[in-house]
Amino acid sequence: MNDQRIIFEDVSKFYGEVLGVNRVNLSIPPGITSLVGPNGSGKTTLMNLMTGLVRPSSGRITVLGMSTDEPERLFRKVGYCTQFDSFPKGLTGYQFVYSYLRLFGHPHPVADQLATQAIERVNLGEAAHRQIAGYSKGMRQRIKLAQAMCHQPSALVLDEPLNGLDPLIRAETIALFRSLAQEGLHVIISSHVLHEVDTLSDQVVLLSNGYVVAEGQIHGVREEIHEHPMQILIRCNKPSELASRAFCEDYMVEARILPDGQGVLAKTRDADRFYLLLNRLAQSGIEIESVAPADDDVLSVYEYLIGEEAPTK
Amino acid sequence: MAVHKRSYHSYVGQLTPAWSRFLIVSRYAFRNAFTSRSLFAYFVLCFAYPLGCAVAIYMNHNLRLLEMFHESSFFTVDASFFYHYQNVQAMLAFILAALIGPGLVSPDLANHALPLYFCRPFSRVEYVLGKAFVLIALLSLVTWIPGEILFMIQSTLAGVSWMWTNLWMAGSVFLGSAIKILVFSLLALALSAWIKRKPAAGAALLGVFFFGAGFGQAINAVLRTRNGTLIDLASLLARIESQLFRQHTTRLTAVPADRAWIALLAISAFCLFLLEKKVRAYEVVRG
Repeated sequence: MNDQRIIFEDVSKFYGEVLGVNRVNLSIPPGITSLVGPNGSGKTTLMNLMTGLVRPSSGRITVLGMSTDEPERLFRKVGYCTQFDSFPKGLTGYQFVYSYLRLFGHPHPVADQLATQAIERVNLGEAAHRQIAGYSKGMRQRIKLAQAMCHQPSALVLDEPLNGLDPLIRAETIALFRSLAQEGLHVIISSHVLHEVDTLSDQVVLLSNGYVVAEGQIHGVREEIHEHPMQILIRCNKPSELASRAFCEDYMVEARILPDGQGVLAKTRDADRFYLLLNRLAQSGIEIESVAPADDDVLSVYEYLIGEEAPTK
Repeated sequence: MAVHKRSYHSYVGQLTPAWSRFLIVSRYAFRNAFTSRSLFAYFVLCFAYPLGCAVAIYMNHNLRLLEMFHESSFFTVDASFFYHYQNVQAMLAFILAALIGPGLVSPDLANHALPLYFCRPFSRVEYVLGKAFVLIALLSLVTWIPGEILFMIQSTLAGVSWMWTNLWMAGSVFLGSAIKILVFSLLALALSAWIKRKPAAGAALLGVFFFGAGFGQAINAVLRTRNGTLIDLASLLARIESQLFRQHTTRLTAVPADRAWIALLAISAFCLFLLEKKVRAYEVVRG
C-alpha cells in the first residue's frame, strides 16, 4: 500500500536558521492533491523535498516506496515543473521537451515519440517547432507541463501550474489533471487560486509558516474545525418558520433569513443533528428546495485555519 | 474519495548508457556557442598559427626550397619551437575560453533551470562535466591536437630517429595543454556560475589573469618576495610549461616549478569548491 503513496515522516527542513517546513507528517494517496498556503508557508520546500531536490534536515520521505536519496529510480517515477520560466535560450518547445527526455536516457526514436505525445497532450502540437521565446505565458506553462509529464511518471509535482493561464486553457489544463489522476497518477499542485483548488482537488494540504495545519478531503477538514460553526444554506418556502424552529435547538448559533426572503443561512455547531432537524421540518410541511454547506470550501477553511485573507478568491 | 484505477504505465523500454548522458548538455551548449558568427570566425582564426607552423615545417624539409636559398634548414624544430607554439596557442585558447565559458552556466542559473536538470537521473557532476566538455573539446582542438599533428608532420619528414629522440615533446605538448585546458575550463565555469551576467563573467575571467598578474608583481615588488607570483596564473602556467619543455627561465620572479604545480592545484580545487557551492538545484539561503 505504501508503494502507492507519498509519505512524509516527521520531516523538517531548515535553511540555516530559516525554517522551511517543520515536523511534517503526510501520506498522500493517488489523485489530485493541492498544497495551499500563503507565500513562505513551505509549499515549494515540500515539493522540493518530495522530488529529492533538497534533502530533509530530519525525518524520512518515501515516494511510491522509493527513498528520495535514489535519484536514478526516483526521477523516472516523478515529473517536476518549477514555478519559474526556466527555458534554455533558443530552444523550440519540441527541443525543450526532447532534450530533457534524452537526459533520461531515452534513445532518439523513443524521445521523439514521447516528446510529440506530451506536446500533443497539452495542446501545443501546432506551436511545437516555434521558439519558446515567442510563446505566450499560457503556452510556456503548458510546455513546462509537457516536460514534466513527457517521461510518463507516476507522480507529477507541479508548482503553480495554473498561473498565467486564460480561462479556456485553465479549464483544459484542469481537465488534463483530472484525466491523469483518473489514470492513477499522483498530481501534486500548489496554487493560490482557492476556488479552483476546491473544485480540482481530491485532497488538500493547508500550510502555514512551515507547518501543516490541515490535510485531507476539504469536507472532512471543515468538519474538524469546531470553533467555527458550520454554515448551511437552505432554500425553502417558509424561512421564518424554519428559523424559529431551528432556534429552539441548543446547537444552533444563528439563523438568518436571506435578503430575497427565499431561504435561511444557518450556523450550527452540530451539522448532523441539524440535518436531522431539517428532515423533520420537511415532513411537517416546510418545502425545502435545497440544502448546501456555505463554508465547506477551501477558501473558508483557509481563512478559519490560517487566519489571513485568502490570496485569490 | 475519488476512485483511481491505475491504468497508467511508466516507460519500461531501453535506455542509453548513463555515462553518455552528459553529452546531451554538451550538444546544446556547442550549438549555443556557435550561434555567434564572430565567435566562429575567431575559432577558425585559432588554427592560423598551427597551419603556418605546418607550412613552415614542410618548407624546412623541402629540398628544392633549401637549395634555392643555399640553406641546410631554415630553423630547428626542437623543444623551443613547440614551447613557443604552446604559448601562442595558450593565449588564443584563453581568449576562446573567455568568450565561450561565461555562457555555459550563468544562463541556466539566471533562468532557474538547474532544478529541471536535477529532477532527472542526472547529477551535478554530470552537469559540470557536460558543460566542461564543451571547453575541453574546443580548447583541445586549438591546442594539443594541432600540436600533436605538427609533431607527426615533423616526425614523418625528419624520420623515425628524430621521433624517438623527441617523443617526450609530444608528451609535453599534451600535458602542458591539458593543464591549461583544465585551469581555463574550471575558472571559466566557476566564474560563469557565480556571475550571472555573461559579459561580466567574461570580463572577470580576463581580470583574474591580468589583474592577478598585476597584483602578483606588486606584491613581489613591495614585499621583496617571489610569492606574489603564486596569484599570477599566466606566470604559473608559463613556469610549468618551461619545465615541461626543459626551457631555462630567466624571470627573476619565477617561482620554483613544484610551487607552481601546488598553486595551480589549489586554484583548481578552489574553482571546484565554487562550482559545488553554486551548481545546486536550489540556492541555500541562510537567514
